[in-house]
Amino acid sequence: MKKALSMDFERCKCGLRWAWGHKLRVAVLALVLVMLAPRQVKSQLLDPCCAILVAGLTTISSTMSNVIGGGLNSILTVDRAIQNFEQTVVWPLAQITQAHRLVNSTQSTFNTIQTITRIPVNSATLPAPQQLEQILLSADANQIGRTSTSYSVVYGPVPNATAASQDVRNRIDMADAAAQAAMKRSIAIDNLANLEIQAANQINQSLQIAAPGSAAIIEAQADAWLVRANAYTQAAIADLMRVRAIDLADAGANIKSGATSTTNLGQELINLLKRR
Amino acid sequence: MTFLFFVIFSWFVVKAKTQRQVLALALAGTTAAVLVAPPRVQAQSSLVGAIQAVLNVINGIIHTGLTSINSVRTAINSLYQNVVWPVQLINLARQQVMQMIAQYRNLMWGILRINVASATLPPTQQLERVIRDQQTGDFALLTTNYGNAYGPVPVSTAASPPDRAMTDMDDAMALDTLKTLKKTDEAGTLALQAGDQLEGGAGVAAPGSSPFLTATAVVASIQCQALTQKMLAADLRQEAARLAHESGLLKRSTTYTGQVGDQIINLLKRN
Repeated sequence: MKKALSMDFERCKCGLRWAWGHKLRVAVLALVLVMLAPRQVKSQLLDPCCAILVAGLTTISSTMSNVIGGGLNSILTVDRAIQNFEQTVVWPLAQITQAHRLVNSTQSTFNTIQTITRIPVNSATLPAPQQLEQILLSADANQIGRTSTSYSVVYGPVPNATAASQDVRNRIDMADAAAQAAMKRSIAIDNLANLEIQAANQINQSLQIAAPGSAAIIEAQADAWLVRANAYTQAAIADLMRVRAIDLADAGANIKSGATSTTNLGQELINLLKRR
Repeated sequence: MTFLFFVIFSWFVVKAKTQRQVLALALAGTTAAVLVAPPRVQAQSSLVGAIQAVLNVINGIIHTGLTSINSVRTAINSLYQNVVWPVQLINLARQQVMQMIAQYRNLMWGILRINVASATLPPTQQLERVIRDQQTGDFALLTTNYGNAYGPVPVSTAASPPDRAMTDMDDAMALDTLKTLKKTDEAGTLALQAGDQLEGGAGVAAPGSSPFLTATAVVASIQCQALTQKMLAADLRQEAARLAHESGLLKRSTTYTGQVGDQIINLLKRN
């Protein structure tokens, strides 16, 4: 142990002796060592840079709380007011549910109306009128083709050329044509009306599960159907006016025919008297 | 890394043979140490500037942005509450609905229910009653009362088959129309009830729930149009039958005229 200590002491002396002999080299090594030595950590309490940093961060935090937090709070307050207004005044859930119930209730009324419209009204008692009536009340556009045959069975055909004058045949044919066209149109209108009722029920059913935002779309579709329904009504009125116009024309032709017959009869009587 | 550099540098310094080599190593070592050494701490003035820059951003762009957003949201809120959906006008609209219900509903119901029956004889009074009762369960009674007022179709011995057929068709079309009118009267009453329901609903509706009522009202209008079309179809059938009847009479008169002419000719031939 003692020997080891004396050897270490000898080595130190040797090193110091070398250092004393090479002062420049030791100085260079010391300089580089100082330059490479790790930097001292800054103290949070004593270093003025840290104090400035703390003050700055505190100011930033305070500013963020006041400016950003305050601004966001103001926006939140306004948004809450809007949300409350929309929930209680514009789209209150209770009223929307009530409207759904009302739509449902209206659907029940529509169903009753539909049941009423399906009650049969046929009244003819003889076979030929029964057949024509069945076609007329069928509300099936596919039956329109059968109308003319059944019509002729009940009301008879247009007289042939030897049985009536051309004027009379024209009147009969035009009256039959207008009557048959009106009958055919009535079948088509009934068919269209049934389809409209069916579509209206579909629209109302979709309304029962709609949201306030989608109800407007359904309403637009219903409006379109209403426009279409108005057009069908106008078509029916047009045919009604046509059949009445032909009826009036026929009444006028009747008077004209009577006047011609009276003139002819008068002429025949004059001729008869002249002969005597 | 720094330690390894220092060890290698020390070895070179110790092993250097001349003073010139030592000086060269010192120059190289200090240069390398400057390059390897960690960067200097920022100056205090730079830190204050950075903090001030952050504060400027917060107080400038962010503050202005948030103020602008708040202004817009406040304006939207004001627009909603004062222009689009002002509560007092919503309440006023509801009050108007209720006031008009009170003003018109019973008045119009009373006008529609005024009794217009005018027949004076028992059979026609019975017929008139049944055609105006707005019921669909008494069609058989309607047929009976119609027969009592207008008589039945002649039996086969009393009229020719074409006359019987035409008479039956005339009666059928008239009865069909009367029955259709009874149906549409009943349906019309239900449509009026639906209208009352919708109007009552409008009296308590909110702006957001009213589209449902509007859409249902439009659907009800389609249904009413369909009913109107069914009435028009019945009227068309009836008018067509009337025209066909007149046409049929003309055909018959043509036939009769021909037959009378033939008989006169036959009579003259015999004489």
